[in-house]
Amino acid sequence: MRRQPGTELGEDQLPVSTPKRQKRTATVNYRDHEVAADEATEAASPSKRAKSTPRKSNDATATSGLNPPGLKTPTHKSKATSLFATPTKRIAASTPSRAINADRSAKRKSVRLLLEQDEDDVWDGADRLAEEILEEESESAAVVNENPDLRQTIETGTNGAKNKRSPTPEGELPPHERYFFQNRAGPPRTSNNNLNKVNLLTHEEYFEKLAYHQDPNLSEKDFLLEVHQRSFPQWEFELDEDFNVCLYGYGSKRNLVQQFADWLYLRRREDAAAPTIIIVNGYTPNISIRSIFATVATAVLGADLPSKLGSQPTEVLELLQSALKSRPLRLPVTVLINSIDAPPLRRAMGQALLARLAATPMIRVLATADTPNFGLMWDISLQDQLNFVFHDCTTFSAYEAEVDVVEEVHSLLGRKGRRVGGKDGVGFVLKSLPENARNLYRLLLTELITMLDEGHMSDDELEGEEDEGREVAGARGAGDLGIEFRTLYQKAAEEFIASSEMMFRTLLKEFHDHQMITSRMDSSGMEILGVPLSRDEMEGVLEDLVLA
Amino acid sequence: MDTDIHEGEGLEPPRDGLNNQGVYIYAPPKQSKGNGERAPKRRKIHSNTAHNTVEGVPFVPLLNGEEDAESVRCRYTTYKQFWSQQDRKIQAILKEVDSKVLESVSSFVQTTSPETYNDCIPTALVTVGSNVSALSRLLSRLNSRLTTSGEGGVVAIESGDAHNLKTALKNIIRGAITNTEGSDGFQRFLTDRAGPRLLGYDLELLSDYVNRKGIKKLVLVLRDSEAFDAGLMIDLLSLLSSWLDRIPFVLLLGISTSVEIFESRLPRSSVALLRGKHFEIHEMGDCVDRIYEAIQADQDAKLWVGHNVTAAVFERWTDHFQSPETFINTLKYSYMSHFFANPLTALLADSVPANPPSTVLCEAIRNVPSFRSYCEALLENNSHEVRKLLEEDAYLLQEMQQHIKMGQTKMRHISQAVVVIQIFSKKLQISRKSSVSDVSIRALSGDLQNSPLVEDLLEAIKKADSNQLDELLSSLLAIISGQRPEFPRIEKDLKALLVTHKGAEPLRSEYHMRNTVIQTTVVKKQIKLTKSKAKLPQEVIQYTQIVDRLHAAFESYFTETLIQPQDLVMHEVFLFDFKYPLKEVFAPRSRFVTERALSTPFDYLMSTTSEAPGRQRSAKQPATAILYQLYLESGALVNVYDLWSAFFAVFEADQGDEYDERMTMTLFYKALSELKVLGLVKTSRKKVDHISKSAWLGL
Repeated sequence: MRRQPGTELGEDQLPVSTPKRQKRTATVNYRDHEVAADEATEAASPSKRAKSTPRKSNDATATSGLNPPGLKTPTHKSKATSLFATPTKRIAASTPSRAINADRSAKRKSVRLLLEQDEDDVWDGADRLAEEILEEESESAAVVNENPDLRQTIETGTNGAKNKRSPTPEGELPPHERYFFQNRAGPPRTSNNNLNKVNLLTHEEYFEKLAYHQDPNLSEKDFLLEVHQRSFPQWEFELDEDFNVCLYGYGSKRNLVQQFADWLYLRRREDAAAPTIIIVNGYTPNISIRSIFATVATAVLGADLPSKLGSQPTEVLELLQSALKSRPLRLPVTVLINSIDAPPLRRAMGQALLARLAATPMIRVLATADTPNFGLMWDISLQDQLNFVFHDCTTFSAYEAEVDVVEEVHSLLGRKGRRVGGKDGVGFVLKSLPENARNLYRLLLTELITMLDEGHMSDDELEGEEDEGREVAGARGAGDLGIEFRTLYQKAAEEFIASSEMMFRTLLKEFHDHQMITSRMDSSGMEILGVPLSRDEMEGVLEDLVLA
Repeated sequence: MDTDIHEGEGLEPPRDGLNNQGVYIYAPPKQSKGNGERAPKRRKIHSNTAHNTVEGVPFVPLLNGEEDAESVRCRYTTYKQFWSQQDRKIQAILKEVDSKVLESVSSFVQTTSPETYNDCIPTALVTVGSNVSALSRLLSRLNSRLTTSGEGGVVAIESGDAHNLKTALKNIIRGAITNTEGSDGFQRFLTDRAGPRLLGYDLELLSDYVNRKGIKKLVLVLRDSEAFDAGLMIDLLSLLSSWLDRIPFVLLLGISTSVEIFESRLPRSSVALLRGKHFEIHEMGDCVDRIYEAIQADQDAKLWVGHNVTAAVFERWTDHFQSPETFINTLKYSYMSHFFANPLTALLADSVPANPPSTVLCEAIRNVPSFRSYCEALLENNSHEVRKLLEEDAYLLQEMQQHIKMGQTKMRHISQAVVVIQIFSKKLQISRKSSVSDVSIRALSGDLQNSPLVEDLLEAIKKADSNQLDELLSSLLAIISGQRPEFPRIEKDLKALLVTHKGAEPLRSEYHMRNTVIQTTVVKKQIKLTKSKAKLPQEVIQYTQIVDRLHAAFESYFTETLIQPQDLVMHEVFLFDFKYPLKEVFAPRSRFVTERALSTPFDYLMSTTSEAPGRQRSAKQPATAILYQLYLESGALVNVYDLWSAFFAVFEADQGDEYDERMTMTLFYKALSELKVLGLVKTSRKKVDHISKSAWLGL
């Protein structure tokens, strides 16, 4: 029945009218009979029917009943696709043009066969074709039969989000392919979760927790450090031979450098003169190249240091260089630079100056680099001056001094300043505000704390809050707590803090600007005011306000 | 654990304070601390390394620390001696290479003046290319030349010294004056001046100085002239040209691209102020070849770098933009590593500390692969000898030194052969191109024996005419006559023959095309070509004999010389061929290292306990590594909340009941901040609480 229109159409379009035609139609008819029979048996089973409905509609939309999808040459591949292919592919396979092509090629074939006047062949060919078609038909039917549900979902899925691709590609992609895959255009394909539900850490909590952290790899890290320590003599030899040393790899190398300094010192203690060692912490935010040079100059010149060093780093460096030239030192000066690629030193200017320091005779530099791409900082002439030999010193040590963890994470999340002020910040801002504002804040805090004490919240809420609050050491506290805007205004008016709502809002705006209060709408549309502080902090601030 | 940490902190409170200080002079650890109180780590270093060193020598005793101090010192002094010899040679070559440019530049500086260039600034444009260091050598030599003759001096500034015109001028003035007067002199100069105090960037100061010192040439060098801000250059040039009547400037511009590009950056009015000459410090390719040859093929050479090192060094030289210094440093480093890490190098010293023979050293010798294979070979016919070698230390040392001497001689011959091949291909114009590095690499790997290159050379001998051969022999004789006595004899015969030869044309052997006749005969409808010798005069026959002898001599010479160096007994002592340290030390794969540390942390954290940690993610790994692996799985944009949930799922699964969310959060913070500091993630504005990925593993 489904087959009928397609074949008839094909029949009509046959360009040749030879006696054979009769036979051909006969075969077609024969085929059709079989198909019909087949369909009939199929129709007998209900599951079959269920499956065929969506499919039919699909055919109607996609191919407008022009052609039977089964007419393409049945290969194993087609079998495979019907099993595993994505829905889009399935549709593509049965696009009209493709099917027509298949149709035409079949026609062409039959025409050619007719022209060759070989009856048997014609018969065989047609027969074979029919057989193949039937075979495929029953196969795909069987496949569909096996998992009708899957079929269903696939079909419905097709009209939905075609672009829904998972962020991780299937299988192993080479790195560059992965890069392009992940960077293709389109909207971000990540979930809409955000961190509002999560309590972020404060500095205090972070350090408190960290102190109790037990490192599972402590002994391995110690061992790693020990391995690196064995290279101390090698590094010293390299430094002696006018190379400078650069240590790289993951993990803080600050301790290692410190130990190297100790080692250098202890090794030379037998000599009368102790080695001059200068340690630079490149990660210190306010470090300047000039201060580094000045310190080196101080170490070299000692008491002979001129009172005025000059404000430019180059001036100091030249002073240093001429001093080294005029009075040959017995021992070289060792400069140990922690994190030479840290942001304060990272700029090209700073690196150029450091390279000149490193190229100065009698000055040996051992630097450490943390970022993976530090090599990009130096062009060929800098490399020449630095004359580094590189050693992999992966330590896995924590960047304790180098990184301000909480600050970095908050700035990464774009939440800088949200809690950064904390108690001290709020106190600081309050000090600079007029009396009225301080009174208003005091009022707000008093109200909030009384609310906490009286237990305005329901029992469960409070319990949950308390439990969690205890667990997180009071970081959460009053996050959800708030006083209604009107109520606070009335109280403020009673205490002569604000005479008009206008004025009241002006005061609040000041708090808003410094992120000292939070405001949100509750379910009834009333504005609720709160403070982003924990209870302890609130009490602390209130205390300061009252005492002041 | 907790107490441990507190103890650790309590030990060094003043030092922790120093972590936040930008820069400080190292203060030694407190002496008052008794041994018992010392931190365990520190004690470890003492026992491991500090006590284990030899006084006054940066080398460490090898062989499990059992090497005696004398051998250690011996290695160090031998290194010093070897490298200083090589360094002298290298410096001589560099000096010689530079001297041409130096001569032309200094003559330019001395002869030109604004007058000769109708009031334009005399300018030397020096293109340096990759050879950055050559310019500084040139400048320092030019400077010393000018200062000693009292004519003037050189002031060099870099783009970094010149943010704006003021600082540029300040630096020029200070540089010029301190160059001759020293920094104290500069201060005195400033204060002693009569008249109103001038600002530091007033060129009046400089003109004053020039007048006082009678300076005739002040060479101002802009080392990286392309890096200067164009606006600044324009201002500077106009200023300089206006002071030209009072200060005798000569400008020297270092250019790393090309003069045309440099010129196109400046407006025509500025370019019009300059007039001068273009100098080229020619590329250092052949200079590097010469350096290499000087180090390897020297007659007194005692240590060679093998083909691996040579290949690595030259690969870096050709693939990267490098100065010859870097090349030299790489070679130097291989010398350094050889002596630092190989206890057998003590045998290279002129006087080996043989009595009493160090047992550890002898044990080490007996473990060397080449010694073993030597013994195995010896075992077949002389087991007595082997026994003696294994049992008597003194005999072993003596024998091995003999072998080292022999090996060194053979190595010398190999490097000579390389030179011979070079001369050969130059004189006989072999079309095949072969650089020193190429031939050396092949010679050192024992590849040259029976190679097409050598066969071509031998073939070329047969076809060479007498003049070519004469030239070839005379240039080669100095190198190989000592080694092979037949060559001088052949040469003498050739000379004798040539004296009798009267013709204008040089003699050609019968192998030469001209002396073969091609006969064309038609046999059974097919053309048959037959080569046959033309009738040859007596001279040619004699010459052919000589050529045959020469060919045979060379053939045997090459077969005997071009041996595989790795077959020599004790080659470990005089052949350094580990490319590993060189590659890692000079071209670190820093990104790979970091990625590896984070993606497979147990490559580094070798477990001290027996249980081997699996590859899978677990809370046992460092937090940053866990987060990094999650990060690798994410897309270009990462939801921090989801990242956090995945992160704590790892810990939750692992720790079960003891699981502490806030602690995990702490670790998450730590890990995330580290990823940020390493530059792997950055803030994204696309969505709230998202971060974007900035590095892909393996790219």
